[in-house]
Amino acid sequence: MNQPMLWGVGTSDYGLFPERRVESLVWEAAAEAIRDAGISPRDVDAIVVGSVFGPPGVATRVQRGMGIPGVPMWTIENACASSTSAYHEAVEAVRLGRFGCVLVLGVDQMSTLFSGAIVPEATDPEGASSLPLPGLYALQAARYVDEFGVTPEQLAAVAVKNKRNGLDNPRAQLRNSAPTVEEVLASRMIAEPLTFLQCCPTSDGAGAAVVGADRGNRDDLRIEASAMVSGALWDHRSDDVWGHASVTRAAERAFAQAGRTPGEIDVLEVHDAFTIGEILTLEALGLAPRGKGAELAPSGHTTRDGAQPVNPSGGLLSRGHPLGGTGTAQIAEIAWQLRGRAGARQVQRHRVGLVETMGGGAAGMDGNACVVTILSAQ
Amino acid sequence: MSGGTPGTSEAAFGGSGLGVGRPTKRRPGAAVGGLEVADPRPVFDEGAVLGVRCTACRYPAAQRGIPWCPVCYAAVEAERFPAAGTVWSSTVVAIRVGERRPPFGLAYLDLDDGPRVLVHLAEPEVLRSGTRARITGTDRGDLVAAREEQS
Repeated sequence: MNQPMLWGVGTSDYGLFPERRVESLVWEAAAEAIRDAGISPRDVDAIVVGSVFGPPGVATRVQRGMGIPGVPMWTIENACASSTSAYHEAVEAVRLGRFGCVLVLGVDQMSTLFSGAIVPEATDPEGASSLPLPGLYALQAARYVDEFGVTPEQLAAVAVKNKRNGLDNPRAQLRNSAPTVEEVLASRMIAEPLTFLQCCPTSDGAGAAVVGADRGNRDDLRIEASAMVSGALWDHRSDDVWGHASVTRAAERAFAQAGRTPGEIDVLEVHDAFTIGEILTLEALGLAPRGKGAELAPSGHTTRDGAQPVNPSGGLLSRGHPLGGTGTAQIAEIAWQLRGRAGARQVQRHRVGLVETMGGGAAGMDGNACVVTILSAQ
Repeated sequence: MSGGTPGTSEAAFGGSGLGVGRPTKRRPGAAVGGLEVADPRPVFDEGAVLGVRCTACRYPAAQRGIPWCPVCYAAVEAERFPAAGTVWSSTVVAIRVGERRPPFGLAYLDLDDGPRVLVHLAEPEVLRSGTRARITGTDRGDLVAAREEQS
């Protein structure tokens, strides 16, 4: 068994770039990651791409421009967790010795697909009933509010925190100003109780990571754990809100593999497509007991200068959420943080970091997939 | 307020959402201009929701045509579930989704001794968890439920 390491990362800018070719977003990210890893394109043994909406064949068109022909390559679609799933496969391939160096790519260009919220999938029982993704998260939030008495202000505090963080991220989509709690709550309702500023924007962007075996480079980050789980039934027997159980399954595996406890994590990037998502994810990761996750942002625990900063990049709420381009962006942020190269966003303690991505939307399942990975600086 | 680029404005949630003229992997369905797809929604028939129940563990599912019980793998048989149940959670959606115009209410309804199903609400109001509701019919193929009057 080889010890998988993160050799390098890169991303494009995140925003709305309908005038750009999808491939160019990926090339920007891949070039930075390959440079960051200090390798040549010819060192890449395999390519794994995470993308939801492609377009079909995008991986090959990306490959054509990079001059990495003939290597094993495949594309993974696991909803929002597509590129962290691609990363997970790269990590496992390196661990098992199948490849020495894998290029992981994640991309989606949403601006040329949807003019607003993602159109529900008509072949899905709930999509056919016009359940939009913000509606699905609103149903989580509403249950959570009823069960634990969480306030609108607690939900809004997550958006305020992440959008403030995003001010210092030059690649974030929303980096011009940060709203107050009052402004978050005053923005127009999308699906009760979630207001507009509690929803991630429509985005384009790409990220890249180079995963390889231990090569004795002190700058490489140790991949202590990577866990990927698919969905399980979410039905009338489920006490937890939708999504919670899938994150819990992935988290338990990741912490066991790393031999760590949640309190040992210095900095996290988690799936905050909607404010309630960050709250529930942090509970599932074990940072707070059930029903107490909503206190983490208002208390300052998860702010950039808090005990455990969460989404210092600005998260999906600020950086943007080009589905397949999200996981690799989360990994890039944690890499920059752990190496102490996050600039104005740098958190104080940065030895151990965690990335969580949960993708969902298929009716009756607690997620399509969830990936949790734990990395550390040497 | 946040954002300064097109599409990050609140108008982002105001459009039809359909990428007109752009074939994608997504199937938006005929209701919003796409091609017809097989209807995957639960069926309401003479006061009951059609589904299946496991012949061994009695697991109920509104999804029909499944190859076996997804919990214990025993055979399933057709079942008619009662239309009444308890609200798990609900929301009022304030954006246009496909042919649905805001506001419209949605809820997860746990049918009595039956599955959890997504329903539209007859009135666009948030029903607290635990509220009793009953499916009264369908609208454009969607199950529609209303709060049950206290007896």
